[in-house]
Amino acid sequence: MIPIWAPKVIEMGYIGDKDKEYLKEEFSKHLKENVKLLVFTGDNCQYCNVATAIAQEVAELHDAIEFHEYRVDSDEAKIYGVDKAPTVIVTDGDKYGGRIRYVGLPSGYEFSSLIEDIIDVSRRTAEVSEEVKAQLDMIDKPVRIQIFVTPTCPYCPRAVRTAHRFAILNENITGEMVEAIEFPEWANKWNVMSVPHIVINEDVQFIGAYPDEQYIKYVVDAWKKMK
Amino acid sequence: MDLGFVLPSASRESKDVDVAIIGAGPAGLSAGIYAVRAGLKAIIIDKGNAGGLAEEAPFVENYLGFEGIKGEDLAKRFKEHAMKYVEISERNEVKEIIRDNGIFVIKAEKGEYRAKAIIFATGTTHKKLNVPGENEFYGKGVSYCVTCDGYFFRGKKVAVIGGGNSGAIAAIYLKDIGVDPVVLEFMPKYMCEKAYVDIIKEKGIEYITNAMVTEIAGKDKVEKVIYKDRNTGETKEISVDGVFIYIGLIPISDLAKKLGVETDNRGYIKVSSKMRTNVPMVYAAGDVTGIAGQIIIAAGQGAMAALTAYEDLTFS
Repeated sequence: MIPIWAPKVIEMGYIGDKDKEYLKEEFSKHLKENVKLLVFTGDNCQYCNVATAIAQEVAELHDAIEFHEYRVDSDEAKIYGVDKAPTVIVTDGDKYGGRIRYVGLPSGYEFSSLIEDIIDVSRRTAEVSEEVKAQLDMIDKPVRIQIFVTPTCPYCPRAVRTAHRFAILNENITGEMVEAIEFPEWANKWNVMSVPHIVINEDVQFIGAYPDEQYIKYVVDAWKKMK
Repeated sequence: MDLGFVLPSASRESKDVDVAIIGAGPAGLSAGIYAVRAGLKAIIIDKGNAGGLAEEAPFVENYLGFEGIKGEDLAKRFKEHAMKYVEISERNEVKEIIRDNGIFVIKAEKGEYRAKAIIFATGTTHKKLNVPGENEFYGKGVSYCVTCDGYFFRGKKVAVIGGGNSGAIAAIYLKDIGVDPVVLEFMPKYMCEKAYVDIIKEKGIEYITNAMVTEIAGKDKVEKVIYKDRNTGETKEISVDGVFIYIGLIPISDLAKKLGVETDNRGYIKVSSKMRTNVPMVYAAGDVTGIAGQIIIAAGQGAMAALTAYEDLTFS
C-alpha cells in the first residue's frame, strides 16, 4: 500500500494483466445471470477513487457485470441504506438489494471475497449444508451481520463470505464487511482489536473465522433475542 | 499502488481424483504442482485461503531466490503458480475422511471427493500460552496474528511473547508499522536466527530473556503482562496494550489420526524419508511432519510426497 501521505494518483490498471486473464476465465466459466456492482462515493474519501476503479475494472472483464457509481448522499444511497463511502454492493438489483456489501475497500484478501460474491450472486445461489440451511430458513426478521476486517488478515474472507452466503440464501440477512483501518471510530465503538470481529444486530459479538455450523448459532442467537 | 489483490480459486464440483491434498500451504501447493506434472489428477482442499501460515509471516528472507519478500506475496506466488496446474478449493473444510473399498472418500463443506491417495499438508496452528488472562482477553488485546491485528496498536506498546524466529519477525514488523514492541523470551538467550538478532538490536527493540510469563492482566482489556524473571525469581510487570503470542505451533493431525496414521507424542505425523506414513497411500508433508517449520522445506517435502504418491499409484 502507498503511504497515506503520498499524493493521490488516479489511474486505471489496479488489477494486473495476469490477474485479469485469470478472472476472465473464472467469470466465463461461472457467471450466469446479471450482476450489478454499485459503488457509493463521497467527498474527503481517501479510497473512493480506488474503489470505483477496481469495480470498473472488474466489470469490464465480463458482460454480465454492470458497474454503477452513486453519491453517498443520493436517492440510491437511501434506497440501499448506504451512508458511508466507499461502499461497494454486489447485487442482482432486486431480491439481494443492498444486503451483500463492503464498507471500505475490498482489497488484499477481501478482493477474493468480492470475486466469489460476484460469482454467487450471478448464480443466484450459494452453498451451505442442509443442516445450516434449515437454521437459516428460521430467520424471519432483519439480521445485520457486520464483519470487521483488515486487508492483511488471511482468515477474514472466510468470515465475510459466510455472512454473504447467508445473505444470498435468506432475504432477511445483511452481510456487511467493514474495513476497520479505514473506519477506526466505528471499529473502536466495538473495541475491535482482533479480526475478524463479527457484530450481529449491534448485539451479539464473536471473534474468529468459524465454520458455518458455529457461525449460524450466533446468527440464530441474535435473531432469538429480537423476539 | 499495490493493493495486494488475492484471487479466489473456488472449485465447486465434487469429483474423483488420484490424489487429494489436504491443505494449501507451501507443502500442499508444491505437492499439487508435482502431482499434476507427473500425470496425476489432483485437487487441493483448504479450510481457509491457499498460502497457509506462510501468509502470516510479515517477511521471509530465507526462501531461495527471494532476498526478502512478504509472506503474503510469496504465498500469492505459490498459489498462482499452483493454480496453473491444479484445482484449489479454498474455504472448504474437510469434515471427515472414510475409506470405501480402497478409495478415500473426503467429505468437505463444498462437496465430496474420492481419491486413491491422500497427502496431508495440514500444517500447524498457533500454540497457546495457557496463562490466566489469555482466553479472557482474546480479541481484547491478546492476538496470535500481527499482520491481522498489528494496526490496532499503532502508537501503543505491546509484548511479543516468544523470541524465536516467528516472534522476532513479529516484533520487527510491529516496530515497522509504528507499534512499540517488547519481546519476552523464556530461554536465557536469543532464540532467533542471528540475522534477526541483528535487526532487533539495530531497531532498538527490547528483548528480555529468562522471562516466564505468568499472567496477562487488565480490567476490560489487556493492561499489563506479568512475568517471573527466571534469573532472580523476581515477579515483574510491563504495562502494555496488547500481547502477541508466538510461542510455537501445534500440528493439525486429527483427520490423519482418524485414518490410523501414526503421530509422535506431540501429534506430528511420522513420515519416512519419502513422506510415506504408516498407512498405505497416505502421505504427509510440511509443518505437520514437525521436521523443520520452514517454507522451503515444506515445499520440498510436498514435492517428495507427490513423487512418492505417483510412484506408488503407478507401480504398485
